[in-house]
Amino acid sequence: MKWFNILRDRLRALRRRDSVINDIDREMRSHLDLQIEANIRAGMSPREAREKALRSFGNLNRAVDAAYDVKGGGLFETLVQDVRYGTRVLLKHKAFTAIAVITLALGIGANSAIFSVVNELLLRPLPYQDPERIVMLWEVSPDGRHQNTTSRANFRGWRAQSTSYEHMAAFSDQRLTLTGNFEPEEVSGQLALPEIFNVLGVQPILGRTLLPEDAQPNSPLVAVLSHGLWQRRFGGQASAIGQPIILNGRKFEIAGVMPPNFQFHIKQRSGTGRPAEVWIVLPMPSGTIEAERGRFLSTVARLKPGVSIDQAGAELRTIEARLSDEVPEFNKNYSAEVLPLREQFFGNVRRPLWLMLGAVGFVLLIACANVANLLLSLATSREKEIALRAALGARRSRIVRQLLTESLLLALLGSVLGLGFAWLGIKALPLISPRDVVSLHSVGLNFSVLMWTLGVSILTGIIFGLAPALHISRLNLNDSLKEGGKAEAGQATGSKRLRNVLVVSEIALAVVLLASAGLLIRSFIRLQQVDRGFNSDNVLSLVVRLPSARYPEDAQLVQFFNQSMERMRNLPGVRSAGMINFLPLYGGLGSNTAFKIIGKPLPEPGQEPNCDVRVVDAGYFQTLGIPLLRGRNFSDAEQREAKRVIVINEALARKHFPNEDPIGQRLDVAMFATPTLTEIVGVVGNVRYDSLTEEAPEAVYFPHPELPYPFMTLVLRTDGDPTAIAPAVQREIRALDANQPVSDVRTMDQVMSEAVARSRFNTLLLGLFAGLATLLAAVGIFGVMNYSVALRTREIGLRLAVGAQPRQVLLLVLKQGLTLTVAGVALGLLAAFALTRLLTSLLFGVEAFDATTFATISLLLVLVSLLACYLPARRAMRIDPMMALRYE
Amino acid sequence: MPKDKADLLQGTLDMLILKSLSLGELHGYGIIQRLRQLSDEMLNVEQGSLYPALYRIEQKGWVTARWDVHETGREAKFYKLTRSGRKQLETQEASWDRLVLAITKVRQATT
Repeated sequence: MKWFNILRDRLRALRRRDSVINDIDREMRSHLDLQIEANIRAGMSPREAREKALRSFGNLNRAVDAAYDVKGGGLFETLVQDVRYGTRVLLKHKAFTAIAVITLALGIGANSAIFSVVNELLLRPLPYQDPERIVMLWEVSPDGRHQNTTSRANFRGWRAQSTSYEHMAAFSDQRLTLTGNFEPEEVSGQLALPEIFNVLGVQPILGRTLLPEDAQPNSPLVAVLSHGLWQRRFGGQASAIGQPIILNGRKFEIAGVMPPNFQFHIKQRSGTGRPAEVWIVLPMPSGTIEAERGRFLSTVARLKPGVSIDQAGAELRTIEARLSDEVPEFNKNYSAEVLPLREQFFGNVRRPLWLMLGAVGFVLLIACANVANLLLSLATSREKEIALRAALGARRSRIVRQLLTESLLLALLGSVLGLGFAWLGIKALPLISPRDVVSLHSVGLNFSVLMWTLGVSILTGIIFGLAPALHISRLNLNDSLKEGGKAEAGQATGSKRLRNVLVVSEIALAVVLLASAGLLIRSFIRLQQVDRGFNSDNVLSLVVRLPSARYPEDAQLVQFFNQSMERMRNLPGVRSAGMINFLPLYGGLGSNTAFKIIGKPLPEPGQEPNCDVRVVDAGYFQTLGIPLLRGRNFSDAEQREAKRVIVINEALARKHFPNEDPIGQRLDVAMFATPTLTEIVGVVGNVRYDSLTEEAPEAVYFPHPELPYPFMTLVLRTDGDPTAIAPAVQREIRALDANQPVSDVRTMDQVMSEAVARSRFNTLLLGLFAGLATLLAAVGIFGVMNYSVALRTREIGLRLAVGAQPRQVLLLVLKQGLTLTVAGVALGLLAAFALTRLLTSLLFGVEAFDATTFATISLLLVLVSLLACYLPARRAMRIDPMMALRYE
Repeated sequence: MPKDKADLLQGTLDMLILKSLSLGELHGYGIIQRLRQLSDEMLNVEQGSLYPALYRIEQKGWVTARWDVHETGREAKFYKLTRSGRKQLETQEASWDRLVLAITKVRQATT
């Protein structure tokens, strides 16, 4: 009832403003008439009666206004009025408006851009059915490595003994060679148990997904295609269903096609590094140790409703402990973990993203402080106008509302321009974002981002508008009118204090951002300086994968790769060539494998030392500039057939042969089905294989005939630009096998650049925001000092007139600016001490409280602010005393 | 119960308006006249502030309004107490009585 009446009144007021006012007017006039009649009846003359009635009624207009406000018309009425008036004010002060809008747009734009990423990665539901119930299951190795793949045997144990899951599926990403009546092509395949589609709860757009019967022995081979592959190879024809497709030389029948936006790519332990384009059934043979125990399976599962992650994790650890007791020789000291899917996808970017959002929040606050300062300056020149409004009967709340409307107008204008900046930013993000972090291509200005931007702009409008508005409406208006519109120093003290607070906060915020950026920059430099153990100059790398259907025998693999190396070495412009199964710092994991040293006491099961196993040829060390420290390289004969020899790295030699010669020692590395002894013939320098931030692992190098891999990464050191040689390399491979594609052609410098891409990305972004913050803070200092000089014109003129030197005036102004800066820097450093520890996980080789960084950025800010003070100071120096004194 | 002082003051005017209407339908001018009479000329409600209060009360649903012709032949807007308005008046009078009682007690204690 109540709300209905209010709404009715307000809507009526909005629609028929005149009729509402008329109604009020009519009622009050009838009131007056009744009073006048009563007065006349009491014996007054008509004129007297009228005057007395009016007097006793009070201010008629004000009464109508107040009544109209109650009727709600006032709200809309004044809003329209305020907006119209505000627009006029902004148009009149074009320079002010432009600066304020651009400042705000930078702040709001940065916020919207980062929020759109946060929204996409951290807030939006994942595109699966009930995604919060999907989890990843991993093993934790005895040496504490998380997110490790499991074996078929253990997967079977998990599936049989667990009760937490509705569905559970194992999968493994592998590259497959797709052949047919077209250029052979390498595609990314996901070998999975059919239940994976139940786990994810996604339907195909055509045909069917994999079904449990497809996993039965001797059932026909079927494949499910991604939308992209279907479009590319089958032109999006529905008739593709049932057609054959040749993968790794074997014929599959196309069973279904997935929707365009569907992908399920777990980067961790992925053998392909990119989303799957085809799904085929994962074979689950049993019996042999190799089939049972090899750890290569990723596991995804759907929790039953109501089962928590913690419960599932506890159950999985119990099962793993049981498996460990049952088969200690494979499972001793292994543990297991359950990760929510979102954590799996974005766990590693969550912290940097929140930090970035915090950083842009700081930038926006600085922008707000700047605009608040601008508004204060503007308001001072509008004092007379505001005083006049107050004198004409505008209440204080009305003036505050008017000023706030102007701020909101500014904020909205800023957010429109800011959305433009955000759009540009979002377009630019993928260009600098690391390849392996996230696909940022789906990030855009969607509804949530627009709502966020609107919310942020309204909030900023209030933040930067409220303080000046309250302040101005409090000014002594009579004085303003009397003084002829010129603010006097005494009266502006409050305003001056507010300005100082604003500028000090700006500087403090900028210090925090600069300190953070400084720490990241130093980390990035440290990262570049790390001794990675190889030389990447002028090296080209590319991958050749031989399909097992055409190269079923190990001898064929060895022969193909030896022949291709021969051809590479003879290419003009190639200085040296070599190959390795998994390139340093590039996706592929070396097997982390247990080994035994012959002649040394056997460790407990599960306590064996581990090493990183790489398969290479003799040319690899030379091509990447890895020094041979002891012994010899592999001989030609050892590269033709298995002679049971290995080369180890320095780390392994140091750790296990500290006081003896490793050459001639024999190891049993658990890469073979039966114990196999290999002799150490050489020691080479350490290489950081997994990441630049981790120490080089202890490594064993096998010559490729020892452990033939169906794929190898070829590396070539060239005289000139390594990319120029790529076509020739492809030609040579084709000459050996016309059906053989090459892939992943890239220079070693590109590989290196990708290895530091994440660090570079964080550094670039935060550096950008810090730069922006500093710029805005400098503008803020400039504004305040400039205004302060303008206010003190008379005082400075007086000083000059009584004999002060211009230099003294310069120092006076600089000192004032410096005081503000030092206060801001001190405050900022305090905040930085409290906040930079949040960065710790992003830092490398530098402490969160790095004194050098903090000192450097403090100095930088002081210099910047001195620069910003210099222009106003110079202006103060040049004040003409006569002019200044005559001015008032 | 009045929550604070501002409410109390505003509520007082509301209560007086409601009270004047409890004796029968009236227009704005009439309300002021009746309050004057009832208070033996001691209460002189400022006429300009009557209407905002009246409109607020109307929005709360305590009174209804209609245009009608006054006995003098002039048109005027007449206000009439609703059922919820009558209830509101009782509540307000009760709380006013409590307040007066409380204040009286305090004053007697200190003198």
